[in-house]
Amino acid sequence: MSAEALLKELRTQLPAQRLLTQREQIAPFECDALSVYCARPQAVVLAQCEADVIAVARACHRHRVPLVTRGAGTGLSAGAKPIECGVLLVTAAMNRILELDSEAMTARVEPGAVNLQVSRAAAPMGLYYAPDPSSQIACSIGGNVAENAGGVHCLKYGVTVQNVAALRVVTSEGELLTIGGQCLAQPGYDLLALMHGSEGCLGIITEVTVKLTPLPATTRTLMADFACVRAASDAVSAIVRAGVIPAALEMMDALAISATEAFCHAGYGLDAAAILIIDLDGHPREVEAELELVKGVLGRSGATRVQLAADDAQRALWWKGRKSAFPAIGRLSPDYYCIDGTVPRHRIGDVLEAIQSFAQNYELRVANVFHAGDGNLHPIIMFDGGEDGALERVEKLAADILEYCIAVGGTITGEHGVGLEKINQMAVQFSDAEISQFIAIKQALDPLNLLNPDKQIPELARCQEYRALRGSHG
Amino acid sequence: MADLPAAQDRSSELQQQVQAAFAVQHPLAIQGSGSRAGFGLSPSRQYLQQQPLAVAAHRGVIDYQPDELVIRARAGTRLVELEHLLASHGQRFAADIPVPSAESTLGGAVASGWDGPGRSLGVSLRDTVLGCRLINGRGDIVHFGGQVMKNVAGYDLSRLQVGALGTLGVILDVALRLAPLPETQVSRCFAVQPDEVDSWWRRSKELRPLLSASCYHRGRLQLRLSGRTAALEDLLPALGGEASDFDWQALRNLRGDFFNGRQLACLYVPPRSRVDIEQGEVLLDWEGARLWVKDGDHQQLQHTAKAANGFLRVLRGDGAAPLLPAEHWHRRLRGALDPAGILNPAIFREQFTAAGGR
Repeated sequence: MSAEALLKELRTQLPAQRLLTQREQIAPFECDALSVYCARPQAVVLAQCEADVIAVARACHRHRVPLVTRGAGTGLSAGAKPIECGVLLVTAAMNRILELDSEAMTARVEPGAVNLQVSRAAAPMGLYYAPDPSSQIACSIGGNVAENAGGVHCLKYGVTVQNVAALRVVTSEGELLTIGGQCLAQPGYDLLALMHGSEGCLGIITEVTVKLTPLPATTRTLMADFACVRAASDAVSAIVRAGVIPAALEMMDALAISATEAFCHAGYGLDAAAILIIDLDGHPREVEAELELVKGVLGRSGATRVQLAADDAQRALWWKGRKSAFPAIGRLSPDYYCIDGTVPRHRIGDVLEAIQSFAQNYELRVANVFHAGDGNLHPIIMFDGGEDGALERVEKLAADILEYCIAVGGTITGEHGVGLEKINQMAVQFSDAEISQFIAIKQALDPLNLLNPDKQIPELARCQEYRALRGSHG
Repeated sequence: MADLPAAQDRSSELQQQVQAAFAVQHPLAIQGSGSRAGFGLSPSRQYLQQQPLAVAAHRGVIDYQPDELVIRARAGTRLVELEHLLASHGQRFAADIPVPSAESTLGGAVASGWDGPGRSLGVSLRDTVLGCRLINGRGDIVHFGGQVMKNVAGYDLSRLQVGALGTLGVILDVALRLAPLPETQVSRCFAVQPDEVDSWWRRSKELRPLLSASCYHRGRLQLRLSGRTAALEDLLPALGGEASDFDWQALRNLRGDFFNGRQLACLYVPPRSRVDIEQGEVLLDWEGARLWVKDGDHQQLQHTAKAANGFLRVLRGDGAAPLLPAEHWHRRLRGALDPAGILNPAIFREQFTAAGGR
């Protein structure tokens, strides 16, 4: 392994402004959006085209140097944290929308294309790209595929893996593969599914063909206030049980409501213990019928107030509040840490109660604003990083919450990925046989362990250590 | 949670059989009910030394809570039993899953990964797999994914099983996403000349999201519409056509004369492709993105599919070597999950290597 020899080779292939090696040039790339984890790589390459990606992958393979790929850097699990002895490959500048096909309802884009830009480009054709992570104004489609990103509208329209038709992928050896296609089925193994959520560990994405969805004829939004969190949680299951699949079904607790209301005056009920925001979309008559069904369920579930957004402006305002909840909470606390677990819908109430009691043990406050319809929780732990030992307490609380998610039949990550952040909890969710199977997959497709080697899949020894530390047995 | 009749957990004996086979590197042929064997999935003669591994008795629902829109059941559970159970709670599989016979199993459906006529307007079976437990080729029992809607912990090795025909593991149980049954479902039939079909597929975009399946055969276009009664009442008068009692289940389940031919294949092509097939008898579904051909020349159809950026799947008759993207990844993944190559080796060779076909 020789980074020196690699850099020498890359200098012959890339102009200096796209091969960054100076400390001050590299600084902005030392972490992704989970900034507690950072590292300074040997070099940062700003790729402009697929050929750049292939050249870097081949050179890294030849010189046995680890390679971490980064899209827009909005990830929340340190999946794009560089490796000190390695290269960071940034695909953000490969951001063109190459083709929009209104007949096939697909868009072919480069990996750095920004999620929301794809929907904006497709809008004149009456189409959009359905998965909408909260970071959609900044996050890239390539990163969305690597993390199998979700968003608020996944309950009805699926996450990234259900909305991608094809990929171009550069392997760890620097070979270009085409996976999937325009057909509604694929021959062979479902490599497309395997690439989704593989966190840059199995290949580097250089092009994505996404499926587009017709813009719904009608969308109406309901907001329901509840006097207790348990009632709001139970209403979520009751709506689904009534045979309605809302386009979005989001929940905020009192702390999240007050933070957000102070930040953007969305008109949320400040006396509510929890609110649900519900989008219903589709054919106008279907939406009408489902509005009545959902209103009925909300009433029977103990909602203290149910409002229907009068117009698009009010809808937009309610959603603006929801989507700005993170920065709003950021104003109340010097630091915050957002985690991501999924649980069966009917356990949401139990988990929210458990989170509050765990938080008291560590003298921390937690706000909750999340995708209730999917059972996908995003507890936001508020803390002051300047306080001695605060981050350690936060990490312990996060571990308790995630392990509780596993205990009730859920998972340690619904949409943010494992990255570096949740690598310890992998040992709790999976047995040694399962971890060994993941390692075998990684070895099969990246035999030299060069692609994002320190992420997602822990080593077996580390799993055993962690289980011993937590006093559990895997 | 009421179990279906004859629920049985055979995990440990199946595991012992795989472990024993791994120890001596003896090939196994995984057998469900055999209802798909007549559709190109029975191993050819030279592989008769494969020892059968019978999974159809490993059956029963493990967990079903209608609030969660998820069911988890053992691989040998009969699909018809599951459909009845779900319907009694106003639910259905979210995907349109073919059920070739009353004995067809859940494991067989996942392993083959087929989708019915509703696929083009809804989701595919692979889209609805949330998790699965399997025995890998070493005889380890491993569980990937789970029962929740969103889950990105580790590689997605449960969806990878869909369509892998048992070559990447013996599926023990599967968790699938469900959907509510539609309030109303109706079919309409139209007499359409072959040269007018394309313009109909284009029009069908306007019928979303209420259009739920389409089929064109012998000059008749059949459309199925599903949704809230009020919405269908609004749409149907303007749509025209005749009321139809078209048997969508027969099409989904590959039953009827059309599917009994000596030669049967289907072409998968990108939506809105123009594909002319001058041979055999042709039936279209998926708004024209899937073309079933009875008694055609499979070599020639393979060329046609390839020229249209599609591919051919042979269900009966003369084979054609599969067109595989990234063939070496198939080999490597197989090696990672089944290092001794003991799980369905005949099917692996025929379906997942470029030397395949028959």
